[in-house]
Amino acid sequence: MNDLAFSGASGIIIMLFYGFLMLLIGFITYWKNKGLHQSNKEFYLGGGNLSVFVLFFTFFATQYSGNTIVGYAPTAYRMGFFWMQSITFFILIVIGYLIFAPRLYVLSKRYQFITPSDYIQKRFQSKGVTLLASILMLYGLCNFMLEQIIAIGHGVSGLTGGTIPYQAAVLFFVSVMVIYGWLGGMRSVAYTDTMQGIALLVGVVILLIGSMVYFGGLPSAVEYTATVSPEKLGVPDSTGLVSWFSMLFLVMIGAAIYPHAIQRIFAAKSEKSLKKSLSWMAWMPFVTSGFVFIIGIIGIQAFPGLSEGESEQLVGMMANHIAMQNSFFYWAMVILFGGIVAAIISTADSVLLTLSSIISKDIYATHINKHANEQKQILVGKITGVVFVVILMLIAWYPPATLYRIFILKFELLIQIAPAFILGLYWKRLHRHAVFIGMLAGTIIASIMVFSGLQPLGVASGLWGLAVNFVLCIVLSYVMKDSKTEVEWLRKGIS
Amino acid sequence: MKQKKEPIKNWRIWVVLIVLFVLSVPWYLPTGSYEPFILGVPYWAWIILGVSLAISIVLTYILKHHWHMTDEEELWEEEEEQ
Repeated sequence: MNDLAFSGASGIIIMLFYGFLMLLIGFITYWKNKGLHQSNKEFYLGGGNLSVFVLFFTFFATQYSGNTIVGYAPTAYRMGFFWMQSITFFILIVIGYLIFAPRLYVLSKRYQFITPSDYIQKRFQSKGVTLLASILMLYGLCNFMLEQIIAIGHGVSGLTGGTIPYQAAVLFFVSVMVIYGWLGGMRSVAYTDTMQGIALLVGVVILLIGSMVYFGGLPSAVEYTATVSPEKLGVPDSTGLVSWFSMLFLVMIGAAIYPHAIQRIFAAKSEKSLKKSLSWMAWMPFVTSGFVFIIGIIGIQAFPGLSEGESEQLVGMMANHIAMQNSFFYWAMVILFGGIVAAIISTADSVLLTLSSIISKDIYATHINKHANEQKQILVGKITGVVFVVILMLIAWYPPATLYRIFILKFELLIQIAPAFILGLYWKRLHRHAVFIGMLAGTIIASIMVFSGLQPLGVASGLWGLAVNFVLCIVLSYVMKDSKTEVEWLRKGIS
Repeated sequence: MKQKKEPIKNWRIWVVLIVLFVLSVPWYLPTGSYEPFILGVPYWAWIILGVSLAISIVLTYILKHHWHMTDEEELWEEEEEQ
């Protein structure tokens, strides 16, 4: 990667341009919504008033990150057609929502939920369960954030072949994100998500066109793959199939139950806008992860024989090569570059906002200072959020080699709150002690399995933890008795 | 006022979705096979893509016709805004 198409100047220009645009959106939001910082609902949920278009893009930005391009194309490169699962699992997230969102939306409007823990507290009336869930979410979100921070650095330095150093990119964009997040809360996050989502979509389409024009289309890449590594084309064996099923299931439940995804259900303006944005989401995988999959396969022919570490730079190499062809593609790749970075930031900002809201409401206002007004709660959330970000940046300063492993780690933990939602919303008998024990046991089992690298039968460790979690919830609930008043609100709230 | 509909309570939806979920992984095809190529792509990739499309179509249908939980309160709010 010596002959770089992206000299430092254009890389820096586009970086500054996107950063400036995001800050501008933050400032405009701030000026237009002066009362924003007085109320949790205004700051963290945009007043619970997001309309279809904005809601769709903020869902989109939450689920699809820059990693969907920078990380998934190399995965397709290494795994071949096995990675078609990335199209299906993004569609399945909508099924995940279908399991709990309709009822949770109604409850959230009735009881004014701000964070996922608000629901858990209301349903189980137990500080223990709520605190455990909040800590799990915080931990998962921190990992998530860490992944995004690393992705910003990888994305920028990869796309410029190291012209812009990893650390400089991280520092600049994280600062921009924190500032516009502070200024406008959920509103500026959602508005920047819209801008960032459009940039990502445009970028993917142009990269696909560019790689088809300059590296040959999918058929020629497939023909080439058949001669050099036919195993990338074949139907996977039984181990592969099990891991495919396990990945589908993990993402279906895990990604829908992301705390920041749940908060977007609360932020919807109406049921109609929620339904509409989710149905748009059901079609996005074809043009995002689907296109990226094709790009990765084309990469097999374009840059054969890359090692695992080298392949992580695949998108940067392809973009550089395409950019050198003519000035149209040069600027198109510059847009792509901005789109990828924007997509990473748009995921990170959602995570940061949810992180702050959990600290504000579920930790600070519930356990530390019960008499704090909402303005103070928001301030504490903001400041603690920044402290977390700084710590994560220190960890991310020297990044781990591949993105795939840390991506799995957050799911394993976040998914453990699923029974509290999926069972808790429908099964009145579900007992708070059972939820607590299930959640704790699931977390411990999943963590031990992750750290020792255990994946019995090829099924992801998080799913084993979740299975134990579900079984404990059900069995213990039959053993324990719940008082009638505790679940009365649920009956009244729904029927 | 429309009748209230909650997707989770409609077992037919879940039968269809579970069948599609199971079909979306190519366990029913011979291991390692990739020929014939159709339009230059392994045949089974088209099957998986087809099943994925079917899931999206079914989901769009469900979201439109089988999810109706809130009553006129919300509609009224929307009208007021207009």
